[in-house]
Amino acid sequence: MPQLNPNPWFSIMLLTWFTFSLLIQPKLLSFTLTNNPANKITTTKPTPWTWPWT
Amino acid sequence: MNLSFFDQFSSPCLLGIPLILPSLLLPALLLPSPGNRWINNRLSTIQLWFTHLITKQLMTPLNKAGHKWALLLTSLILMLLSINLLGLLPYTFTPTTQLSMNMALALPLWLATLLTGLRNQPSASLGHLLPEGTPTPLIPALIMIETTSLLIRPLALGVRLTANLTAGHLLIQLISTA
Repeated sequence: MPQLNPNPWFSIMLLTWFTFSLLIQPKLLSFTLTNNPANKITTTKPTPWTWPWT
Repeated sequence: MNLSFFDQFSSPCLLGIPLILPSLLLPALLLPSPGNRWINNRLSTIQLWFTHLITKQLMTPLNKAGHKWALLLTSLILMLLSINLLGLLPYTFTPTTQLSMNMALALPLWLATLLTGLRNQPSASLGHLLPEGTPTPLIPALIMIETTSLLIRPLALGVRLTANLTAGHLLIQLISTA
């Protein structure tokens, strides 16, 4: 199986980690979100109201 | 020379350049960094929404201290997803079919989780080696079994990804040449 040839293993390892840490991660850091992460607030129920038809 | 079905996985070289180099670097071009605006173009918005979905799925079960793993895991998911999906196109090379790349990702990350657990909660992480409710005579055997399964985990996970992708590509080639 050609995948088991150990010659390029070190360079593939270096290349993978360089791509992963120096290319993809900074790109992902620029995906900023506008809200702070927070859990869903389940304590307040919506108060019902009547629609004024007149 | 007669080609076997595994020859599609040998690292291709074109004009002296090993093609694993562009196949690892170019999927990053599909993730354009959004600019410094509140609202960007539609592609960046969709990717932001997708990234947010993945991060939420990963981080909801964890407490605040676990959230520092968000960038590492989300970027890992996105990189593997883009590389594997691009490998479905004809005439492309999928670097995740190489055991070297999967072991290069699996071993350090597995070791990181193991060492983090051992450093922060040493007795709890060692206690995971024995499942609850084990009958007493089975304890030595089970500890050895759990230790073996822990140590084999990076090899198992790396080989799992390699084997799945290799099997998929082989299946595609076998069906197309039937």
